Amino acid sequence: MIEVRDVSRVYRRGADAVHALEHVSLRIERGRFAALMGPSGSGKSTLLNILAGLDRPTSGIVEVAGQRLGDLSEDQLAAFRARHVGFVFQFFNLIPVLNARANVELPLLLTKLGKADRRTRADTALRIVGLVDRANHKPNEMSGGEQQRVAIARAFVTDPEIVVADEPTGDLDAKNALEILALLRDLAREFGKTVVMVTHDPRGEAYVDEIHHLDKGVLLDSVAGSGGAA
Amino acid sequence: MKFLPFIWRQLSRNKLRTALTAGAIGLAVSLVCILLTMPAGMDALLTQVASNTRIVVHNEAGLVYPLPYSYLQKIRSQPGVVSAASWTWFGGVFREEKGVEFPNFAIEPDQVGSVWQDWKIEPQQLEEFRRYRDGALVGRGTLTKNGWQIGDLVTLKGTVYPLDLAFRIVGEIPNERSPIFLFQREYLDQALRAGGRGGLDILGTVWLRVDDPARVAPLMSQIDEMFRNSEAVTASETEKSYFANFFSMLQGFVTVILIVTGLVALCIVFIAANTTSMAVRERIGEIAVLKALGFSRRLIFTTLLSEAVLLSTLGGVLGVLGALGLTQLLRAGSGWNPALGPLGSFIVTQAILVQGLFLALFVGMLAGVVPALGAARRSVAETLREVF
Repeated sequence: MIEVRDVSRVYRRGADAVHALEHVSLRIERGRFAALMGPSGSGKSTLLNILAGLDRPTSGIVEVAGQRLGDLSEDQLAAFRARHVGFVFQFFNLIPVLNARANVELPLLLTKLGKADRRTRADTALRIVGLVDRANHKPNEMSGGEQQRVAIARAFVTDPEIVVADEPTGDLDAKNALEILALLRDLAREFGKTVVMVTHDPRGEAYVDEIHHLDKGVLLDSVAGSGGAA
Repeated sequence: MKFLPFIWRQLSRNKLRTALTAGAIGLAVSLVCILLTMPAGMDALLTQVASNTRIVVHNEAGLVYPLPYSYLQKIRSQPGVVSAASWTWFGGVFREEKGVEFPNFAIEPDQVGSVWQDWKIEPQQLEEFRRYRDGALVGRGTLTKNGWQIGDLVTLKGTVYPLDLAFRIVGEIPNERSPIFLFQREYLDQALRAGGRGGLDILGTVWLRVDDPARVAPLMSQIDEMFRNSEAVTASETEKSYFANFFSMLQGFVTVILIVTGLVALCIVFIAANTTSMAVRERIGEIAVLKALGFSRRLIFTTLLSEAVLLSTLGGVLGVLGALGLTQLLRAGSGWNPALGPLGSFIVTQAILVQGLFLALFVGMLAGVVPALGAARRSVAETLREVF
């Protein structure tokens, strides 16, 4: 479960103050697939970063998976992310020198799992995204869709409660975009993950359970998506 | 340890850059290792060329100041002295325009075989040297350089004494590097008398051989004490110490080389630091992703620093192996090519290997710490915003 209460974020840019978020409050229940939507500069990525523990609000309270993130130090936040949050980025951001399996295994290096267990888990995650036969391929040997599926496998391989995705379909063609949206929906539906996605893509509305619209740092409304209709 | 394959993969990202940086570090480490062999190598060299039972006595004021010839007999009569000979500088030139090309001394011929047993001069040649008043014993270095052979006649023009002396070469000092030219003292003495300049009543240095190495130190004190209140005060030293004085100029040269090497090592630190900085700059987005995945700042710092240290250690291993290989090659080469002989003394010991590896480790740490710290401290959200 994610709860954001009266969160504001102000950036200093020289002498100017940029209000990226203003008094935003929202709640996303466990196992839901939520979209943060809005034009560029609306503050949706800032909000995503804050609830994923990558950034801190200027004011307000953020509670994720039972943890008040404001109480955590930098190192504790890093440990929190390793344990509770999985990340999917627009440009996949796989490590180019590592093959698919090693990329997926990367977050598991932060756990106490042994080498064999790490490998088994990574292969399982790759099997779920349908890429176990590409385990030994490096990112530059895979298509964009495949790379994003490897990134999704990396995001849930540690079995986190939350998966956050920042424009996950932004660099993909239509077919691959729909596959990725379906995969993220499955993470929520079948694996009980809370998935929060920042997107411009209107096709995403058909896959998500709820949509939170932002503009100029303000939460305009929260509406139900047609999740699972597609 | 579980991060080692990850760090290794990062190093293999740009193989050419990794190889060039490791090569540069290796070259510097190699250079330092070879230079570190110099003090021990020179000591070994001195031990090789110097006998531990030979003493040289000269004027305390310096080598250019003579001693009375009567000192030789007094020194010879000391208990423990097996034999003693004097060297008197003639300063003869073979080709006038070139000046003194090789050291030439007047000496007592009957003492050479005993004082310098280790020179291994042919007994027959020693006998010839004793027999012919104009005979000369010449080091192989000078023989080779001038294309002379035993039996040749050469004339040296005196620079200290205004007379020309003609010599016949009767023997050689069988050492490739020996430049010395020795001739009979009596020959010079008679030539001076014949020229109406009186006899030769001075000497430059006295060389003596002692029967027991343990007596060397007491005998040196005894000789110097004997002449303490005389007209010329003496200074006695071992042959090794005497040669070491000649090497002292070389020591200064080594110091300069060591300073230059230190600067080279510093340059290598900058090169390695630049490589690490470039590697970090290129991967700033990736590092932000790792942080997002939960890599702590400390872990980011440690992996980046380990990468720099691994790279420089790799260079260090190449460097010490290179230095070891080179010195062993020279050592092996000195066996079949006597001209390389002295280089065989410069040995890369285990201690030098360890010092070389530590230098590489230090270079890696110094080069890696600033870029790694910068990357570790950078805000993850800010970087993600900037880069993606």
